[in-house]
Amino acid sequence: MLVPDFVPAITASFYIPAIYVGIIVAFIGLMGIAIEKRDIQILILTDIVGLAMLIVVAATGTDLAEALILPGLVVELAEILAISEILISREMRKIEAKNGNDITTSVFPLPLTLDMEVLTTAPNFIVLIMLGFGAFLTGFTGGAVAGGGILLYVISRKSRGLPIAVIDGISGISGMAWCLWIIGFLLFFLTPELWLLSLFMAACGLVLKVTSKIGLIGTMMREEYKRE
Amino acid sequence: MIEVEMLFYTGCILAILGSIATVAGPGVKDPIVRTFNTEIAAIGVSLIFLAYNHTLALMTFVAATAVITLVLLRAITRLEEMGADV
Repeated sequence: MLVPDFVPAITASFYIPAIYVGIIVAFIGLMGIAIEKRDIQILILTDIVGLAMLIVVAATGTDLAEALILPGLVVELAEILAISEILISREMRKIEAKNGNDITTSVFPLPLTLDMEVLTTAPNFIVLIMLGFGAFLTGFTGGAVAGGGILLYVISRKSRGLPIAVIDGISGISGMAWCLWIIGFLLFFLTPELWLLSLFMAACGLVLKVTSKIGLIGTMMREEYKRE
Repeated sequence: MIEVEMLFYTGCILAILGSIATVAGPGVKDPIVRTFNTEIAAIGVSLIFLAYNHTLALMTFVAATAVITLVLLRAITRLEEMGADV
């Protein structure tokens, strides 16, 4: 066996069962996709195949696994988001082609009016704490914490209709964060003596990136459900 | 005393059972039931991460699973409400 000495024996003993479980789960999920015909069901089953991928990656069992799982999760999330958008817009176009333009799509079937005082007062405070803590953490975890804060704020706000400029602004920040991340990564290889600067550039870029992405999801959900 | 092996094999069994439930469980014609069944497999994967001591990955996975469920439910409710074949 080509296992280095610093890998604990228990991790090495988990390797074979974890790989088998990953293969079995992937096989079940792919069989389901092969049988199923409707698109949204296939999208849900894709989630299962993603889980199988995560199990196989986790079987590596070192810090490498952790470093590989994070991008895998983000890619899976982005993929599901994009495909669900495509499905919805395709169905909309189909229905519009069938009954002309006079159909009102996209309202939540139930009147969702949560009128509680705590929803208007508490979020500001909690969001401040989450943003501060996320900025302190930086990197991927910080971005997730800060983005969760924005998500909470956006979902709990009563007023609807964020101006389109805000959405454009969020995507603009996202693009700049991406550039920051790439420049930081490049500096890391070109001038290794500036490693601290490039580390911070990459971490701050990543925190902005993840925060803005989760914030965008929140904006989208609010546009869906808070229609009155 | 909770053994690491116990967590790991429980996770494996839950992952396999959850994926079977998602593909061919009772009532999976309803996409919402199917979405909820994926959570069983997700719990199994979380336990596997826990057995491997992947703290950061576990935290991110829990957050990402919640967001994925939100996105899927949004897609399902919109498609159902538009009268599409789901």
